[in-house]
Order: sequence, then structure tokens, then C-alpha cells
Amino acid sequence: MQLLPPNVRKHIEFVAPLDAAPDAKRAAAAMDPVMWAVVVGLIGFGVVMVFSASTVEATMQHHDPQFYLKRQVAYAITALVVLFGLSRVDYHRLYKFTYPVLFGTGVLLLACVAGFGHSGGGATRWLAVGPVHIQPAEIAKLALVLWLAYSLAKKADRVRTFAVGFLPHLLVAGLFMLLCMKQPDFGSAIVLLLLTFTLLFVAGARVGYILGFLIPAAAFAAAAIRFKQYRYERYLAWLDMEAHKQDLAYQPFQSVMSFGSGGTWGVGLGRGLQTLYLPEAHTDFVSAIVGEELGFVGIALLACAYLLLVLRGIRAALRAPDDYGTYIAFGIATLFGVQALVNFCVALSLLPTKGLTLPFVSFGGSSLLVNAAAAGILLSISRQGDPVKADETPEPAPVASARAEAAP
Amino acid sequence: MKNLDAKRAKYMRMRMGVLASAMGLALGAVVSSAYRVQVEDGPVWRETAEKQRQRRMHVESKRGSILDRNGTVVAVSVEVPSVSVDVVEMLRGVDGEPKQTATLRDAAARIAQILSLDANQTFDKLVTRRRFIWLKRRITGDEAAAVRDLHDQKKQVQPIRGLKIEGEGHRYYPGRELLGPVVGFVAPDGAGKDGLELSFDEELRGRTEDVKGIRDSAGKLVLSEGSATAPSLAGHDVTLTVDEGIQHVAEREISAAMGTYETRGASIVVMDPTTGEILALASSPGYNPNDYGESDVEARRDRVITDRFEPGSVMKVFTVASALAAGTLNPTESIYCEHGNFRLDNVTIHDTHLNDWLTPTQILAKSSNIGALKIALKMGEPGLYAGFRRFGFGEPSGLPLPGEASGVLRPRGRPWFDVETANASFGQGISVTTMQLATAMSAIANGGKLLEPQLVKRVTDEHGAVVREGAAHVRREAVPQHVAKLLSEMLTAVTEDGGTGVEAAVPGFHVAGKTATAQKVDPATGRYAADKYTASFVGFLPAERPRLVVAVVLDEPMIGHYGGDLAGPVFRRVAEASLRYLGVVPQGGAKLSDVTRAGDPADATLAAMKPQLQGPAPVMLAPVADGVAVPDAAGLAARDAVRSLVSAGLVPEIEGTGKVVRQVPMPQSVVAKGSTVRIVLEPSS
Repeated sequence: MQLLPPNVRKHIEFVAPLDAAPDAKRAAAAMDPVMWAVVVGLIGFGVVMVFSASTVEATMQHHDPQFYLKRQVAYAITALVVLFGLSRVDYHRLYKFTYPVLFGTGVLLLACVAGFGHSGGGATRWLAVGPVHIQPAEIAKLALVLWLAYSLAKKADRVRTFAVGFLPHLLVAGLFMLLCMKQPDFGSAIVLLLLTFTLLFVAGARVGYILGFLIPAAAFAAAAIRFKQYRYERYLAWLDMEAHKQDLAYQPFQSVMSFGSGGTWGVGLGRGLQTLYLPEAHTDFVSAIVGEELGFVGIALLACAYLLLVLRGIRAALRAPDDYGTYIAFGIATLFGVQALVNFCVALSLLPTKGLTLPFVSFGGSSLLVNAAAAGILLSISRQGDPVKADETPEPAPVASARAEAAP
Repeated sequence: MKNLDAKRAKYMRMRMGVLASAMGLALGAVVSSAYRVQVEDGPVWRETAEKQRQRRMHVESKRGSILDRNGTVVAVSVEVPSVSVDVVEMLRGVDGEPKQTATLRDAAARIAQILSLDANQTFDKLVTRRRFIWLKRRITGDEAAAVRDLHDQKKQVQPIRGLKIEGEGHRYYPGRELLGPVVGFVAPDGAGKDGLELSFDEELRGRTEDVKGIRDSAGKLVLSEGSATAPSLAGHDVTLTVDEGIQHVAEREISAAMGTYETRGASIVVMDPTTGEILALASSPGYNPNDYGESDVEARRDRVITDRFEPGSVMKVFTVASALAAGTLNPTESIYCEHGNFRLDNVTIHDTHLNDWLTPTQILAKSSNIGALKIALKMGEPGLYAGFRRFGFGEPSGLPLPGEASGVLRPRGRPWFDVETANASFGQGISVTTMQLATAMSAIANGGKLLEPQLVKRVTDEHGAVVREGAAHVRREAVPQHVAKLLSEMLTAVTEDGGTGVEAAVPGFHVAGKTATAQKVDPATGRYAADKYTASFVGFLPAERPRLVVAVVLDEPMIGHYGGDLAGPVFRRVAEASLRYLGVVPQGGAKLSDVTRAGDPADATLAAMKPQLQGPAPVMLAPVADGVAVPDAAGLAARDAVRSLVSAGLVPEIEGTGKVVRQVPMPQSVVAKGSTVRIVLEPSS
């Protein structure tokens, strides 16, 4: 910042929440090798698992065992191009796109709800653009992270105020959530809510406001479940899975059965048989097939991979040259972590069924491309990291470990 | 974070730390839950999953067919469609309880209308929301087409999802009563229960271990363990040696004889003496395996192999043969027959015809008991017993049918006393089956070789490849060839003038055979009953170069009792029609036109059947020359019904008392004159 001439600095301060301008030298620095290795590894693993989990359905529905494999390979190649392409773009250049992306996503969500959507599995979540089906809710997650990071960084200390720092973010997020709920996509709405609150919390919003809002929101959610008959039935079925294993709890029951029949070491890649019974085995429930074919060891390793990804994301957040970068990095790390967590919990029936994918692994173009874009941005931020100074204030444990890795 | 003051940066790090720890903890909870499900409860889940894959074995292999020697279908499994529904699939995309209920109600109404079910009951089935429910089993082709329309997106504004049509096997016997007791029937669960269906159950069903496989959520077989694919699960086809044409004649003749002579039962075997192949094997009363539930257990018995009886004079053939083979009898010597009365120990034995000196040929022709016993006593007990055993008596014939009796030669388990030897020599005090008689007579016909009777010609898999093939198998030499030849000549005297079996003579052929009229033991008294007989005729023709052996046994005829008079004509008609059917030309001098008797039902049947047998069309009851339409007896009292049937030239068989409620054959069906019409009466309430 000090390096810039004052007139430029003033201009930047006025238009952008950036205190580190685009810097060609920094942007060309090496990106986090661990992070990209994990992401590429997960995408590759996803292709394999999608093939293993989708063969039965592909054969029965499309008479081509490789129907989903071919598509997932195409998505994966595109995703890798997006990943490494975005990782080469200095994230400081992104702020200009914040509002267009936000509005664009809002329009797409609205179009989806307004009847232009394409139905599937009882919900209207897709928009058909020619031969491509896109899922606006997936884009909404990244768009919201980008906007929140921008807005919170711009408002800086005013984040602690209610009218400027708290309410606007909540309104935008709330609107997105409502549009998601309308589809209905309860899972995505929850992810948006968690993203908003984590970023507000990290940016320094008053905990009182957050709690003051969270408690009524929880009550509202409970009411939404209790008084919407089918949701309540699903909830009851989830509570008493054994009694509803033939109807409402069929999917979670089969999913847990998949995990269980995998045992410690799994039945072996491609040898899983629960794909015959488990609906959505290649999309939202791919983790159940991982559990069956690779066993507890596979699930534990997969969980470690996500943990590592989140920790490297937080490391990038800590080392980012400015607030904008920190917020984006933390938001994206949270996005990965929360999605993976909720997906695992649903597949293990710790939570009632939501339509959430396992980032990078589940079948689906929108989800894979958006997550790859997010990872690309994260990699771009990781290039700009400064070594964290050793004399800084003490930190909580997980961050400390991240820092320790960065230390040399 | 450069721009922030140290205090704020610290707070931010702390907050990130809190959130990261929370995520880490949640992930830890997920992993520990996975540990519990996978490692601790893993074996339980694995077992549940395996059970799920093995469930619902209603997908079965197609049962093989049973065919006659010319490939005419005797028993066949047809796929009868059944319709099931997956309610979860039906409700996919329908959210909200009221909407779902409305969908189910609508679906129930539409399905019920098409399948003629009750809409409320159907709805009750659907609201269980199971993934697999039978809606209706065994639907018609029209119903199946209508169900397909219901879930066709092009034909319906609101297609019903989740409907599935699957074929279920249903056993069908196109010949109805034909071969009934021989083929048996199949229970609804697919298990063969009687006859060939039972003894060839495993092969007809297909290999059961292949049926195990992996099923998807609808219970459909997806992958089978091992290399077997779905088509190779099909059962094997069993081709019989039986010729449907000859079988038809045989059945018609014995049921006619049953009606005419009012016998309790009747059995007949037609056999090829050169190979042991059974061309016809019939037991009367028979039943229709298509509705086996309505038949009498008694009628399902295959009398040819299950019923043992005292054979009577037929055994003289084997007594003489054994003595000739043993060298204790000279074919030209004369034996004194005591003028019809002979006292042995404290028993007096009579002959029907009073004779003095008879040659062995005459002993057979006139059926002299005294002559036979003298031959036997000269040979001695061990010789006679061994002789009978060599002809296959006292051992199962080896037919692949359940419940075969082997007959008893030494009922008390010790060698015979002289009186018993004497009795055995003319077929008393021992028991045999019709099958054994036919096999033993074949040995005389073919030059002394006792053949294993064959009922199954070959077993083929679904591609037509032969799995197993029957072949002529000689069990042993019963008598030397020259003895057999000699016997053949002697036995032709039976059917010539002065013999007991003239009724069995077939014009144009030399017929060798033997009549038998055996008294039956009354089970109540343990003594021979005066009015209960087994009348039989066993013979072969042409005597010079035998093509057929026919054994006819009539059990307890009420009208007449001599084997020659009763069983002889049955033999003649069956043999004559069969030879004609096989295209054997008479050599004995008489012209073919003489042989044909106008209106002989057997001839008429075969004449009518011939063209049909060449085509693949299923054999139905052939139109009969000299046939009569069965009058309608419904509602008549027994006396009136009998009068109306008899005046139409039919033989009534009455069951029950009261008014006629049912009759077989149905009114107006055309049957041969002299056929039996069974009428069932029930007291009118």
C-alpha cells in the first residue's frame, strides 16, 4: 500500500475494499501445492466413484454403462481448465464482477422459481440453457461468498453496526435462501445461512446480533418442518428409520446399509451392490458407495482430505494480503467444509435427507464447475500469501497447525 | 490482514479458530459415526444387505416342456403376465400428503377399472407405500396391454408410474386327460408333484443354483452369480418315447372298455419290443392335470406301474419258457392233463376245459392249469422262481416314474411249497404289474432279451442340445433265442381257432399272445372272491417280426370276466390301429380292406388324427366318425339321465345321488358311440 502513489491509493480506496492492489509479481508466485493436489485428487476420485456408483442406473435408464462416466469426465476436464485458469487470475480483479454475478445469480434463481425451471426428483432446481442444465443454487453459494467478502471488506469497521454491517447482508442472503426454499432446496438454503453467519462472525459482527437472529431463525425452521406435513413426516421417518425403511426412510436406510456392508476395508472398488438399491447413488449419496466399496478406511481418508482442504483454505485466509482475500478464502473453505459435512451427515443419516452434493466427487456439472471455480480462486489467493510472522499473537489449535506448516 | 490493527487481527484469528474447531469437531463426529456403523455394526448391516439381495425369489426359470416322440407338446409352461407396482416410484415427484393421497386414489381407481378389482381395496394396498405389491396375478393379454397403456407417457395425460408387468409360469397340458397320470402335475409354487413332473422335476425346473443371483429394488434378477445368464436358467425339455397317436387310441379304448365292462380300472402298455420304447402307457380312470385339484387322488394313480395284481394264466407263458430253457420240457412231448381235475396234497386244481393229453402249445392255447403245474413241478421250485426272476418279475421295471411297485413272487419270503409252485405256474399267489407283463412279453418277442423299458427318449436343453439320451438297454437274457422263437410260434395258437384268445386276432397278422382271467382275493375275507376278476391279454404282433407288444389289464369287470373276451378285443383294436398308424403292412394274407371294420372308433380316431399329427397344431379331441352328440342331462334324475344317454348309444357313469349337476363330456360335444359319459349328481336342496 505504501508503495503506491497517493492518488492511485485514494482511487483504490474509493472504489474497492482493497488495500493491496493487483500485483503481477505476487500473483505469479507459486500456489499452495498441497491444496491443488487435494483438489485434483478429489476430482479424479470423483470420476472413479461416479462410474462405480452409476453403472447400474446408467445401464437400466440409458442402456449405456458409461453414460454418467462420459459426462463426468467431460465435466472434470472442464473443471480442471476452470481451476487452473482462475488460479492464474489475480483475485483482486474479481471484485468488479461481484455485483454482476450476484444479480445474475438472483435472476437465475428467480427464473427457476418462476416456472422456467426443469424439474427432477420432486424439485425445480435446474435451468435448461440449450443442452446444458445448470443449477443456480450451486452458483448462488459462490456468488454469495464473493459478495459478502467484498461487502464486509469494504465496510471494514462498520461491520459491527446493525444497519450497515448486519442487516443488508442478512437481507440479501435471506432473499437467496427464500428462493432456494421455494424450489425446494432446503440444503442449499442451510448452506447459504451458515456461510453468511460464519463470514459475519469472522468479519467481526456482534455475536449478540448473530445469536439474536439465529434463535428466531431456528424457531422458524422448526416451525417450517413441523407445519409442512411432508417435511414433518420425513423428519419422523428419520427419527424412526427402522419402521419406515420401506417408504419414507428408504433412501437413508439403504445408505446406512451401504456404509455398514462396507465394513473396515470395504468390498472393493466396483464391487458394491448397494447401487442396485440406493437411489441417487452417484450424486448426493456417492459417499455411501465410497463407504461400501472402500470401507471405513476410505471414508476416514476422504474426511481427512476435506479437513486438509479446509485447513489449507484457512491458511490461505490467514496469509492473504488483505481482508477481501481473507474473507473469500475463509468463505470458500467453509463452503467446502460445510457441504462435505452435511453430505456425510445425510448419508450416515445423522441429518434428515437434503439435496447436497459432495464437493468434487458427486456427479453433476454445476456443482463440480462451481466448486472448481471456488478452488481456483482459493489457489489464486494462496499465491499471494506472506509468511506469517512468528511474533504474532497466539492462535487456537487448528490454525496453529496450519501456521506451523507454513512456517519454514 | 495487513491493514488491520493487531487487536482486530487477533479477534479475527480467534473467530476463525472457533469456526475451524467446530468444523473439525463435526467431522470427528462424522468419522466416529462411520466407525460405529461400519466397523462395529458392519457385519449386521452386511447380513441385512445380503438378505435384501436374496429376497423375493418369484423370478423363476422357465420350466421345460414335455413332448411326445414326434415333438407334440404334452406339457408346456406358458408365461402368464402378472402386474405389480412400486408405490415409491409412483409417488416420485409428488410432494405433500394431500397431493399424494389424491394421486393414489386416482391411480387406484384407474387400475381397479382396468383389472376389474375393487377400487377401495386397491387403494388400501397402495397406501402401504411399499416398493413391491402384487396388484393382480395371471392377467389376460388385454389387461396387460391396458396396463401398459396406463404408464405410457404418449397415451396418457397423467401416466401412472411404477407399474410392472412380469411373466409368471403357468403349466398347461394341451392334451388335457391325455397321459394325465403319466405326466403328473405341477403345484402353484412350481414344484412337480406327480408323474414325470415329479421324477424329472430337477431337470425340467432348470438348475436351481443358477437361479440365485442379485436382485434390484424391484426384485428383478440383475446379475446372476457365476457365468449363467438368464436364458440358460430355463429347464430342460423332456421328450418321451410315447407316440401321441397311439396313446390316444390306447386311452380311448381302455376308457371305452371301462364303460362297456364296468371295470374298476384299466391299464394298457404299448411297447416296441426291439428297443423297449414305450409307445403308449395309459391308466383309467385318468384325470386332467390342468385342473388336478378337482380330480380324485385315486384317478391320479398310474395303474400301469403302481397296481400289482395276480396275473393268472399269462404266467404259463413264462413257466413254459423257463422249462424249455432249463431243458426240463421237450416242445414236442405230450403231458397228461388229468381230465381237468388234479389233486396235489390237499388241494384240487381244475381246468376250465377238460383235456387229457396236451402238447405245450396246446397247454398254452387252451390255458390248462394242470399242464402248467406239471411242467413247473418237473422243473422244480428254484427253476421256476429263477425263471420268473429272469423275466423281470419281482423287481422294478426301472421306469422313471414315482411309486412303482415291484410285485411279489414269494409273498412269505421263503421258497414255495409244491402247492404254491403249482399256483405260481399259472399266476396265482404272486403279484406283478402291467409294466412287468409287457416287458416280459417283449423278451419273448425280441428273441429272449429282457429290455429295460424306456419312457424318455431324450432330454434336451433350451438350445436343443441333447443332455441325455435314452438307448436300448438289455438287462439280461431271459431265455435263449431259440426258446423265444419257439414260444412265439406256440403263442400264435392262442389267437387261432380253438385258442382262448381268438378275439385278439388281428386279420392280416399272426398274433402271439396269452389271455388271463385271474380271480381276485377279497381283502375282507382273504379268500378268492367268486365275482372279482382281473381280465387281461398280453401279446405281440406280427408274430414273425414283432413290432408291438400290447398288454391290456382290466380290473374287476362287472360284465363278463374272461380275459379273452374282454381284453382280447381291446388288444385287437389298439394293435390294429397302431400298426396301421405305423404303416405296417399285413403279411398274413387278409386284405387291408377286410381288416378295417366300419365304424371302429379306434380306426376313426387315428384316421382323423393323422393329418393333425403332421402339423404342429395342438391335438384336440378329433371329430369321430359314427360319433354322437352328448345329450344334455343337466337337472335330470339318475334314471332319466341314464335313459337319455343309453338311447344315444353312450355309457353312463354315475356319481352321487339326486339330480345331475355336472357332466363330462359337456353337452353337445361329439364323442364316439359307446363312450363313457360321467354324470355327477347332487341332492337338490
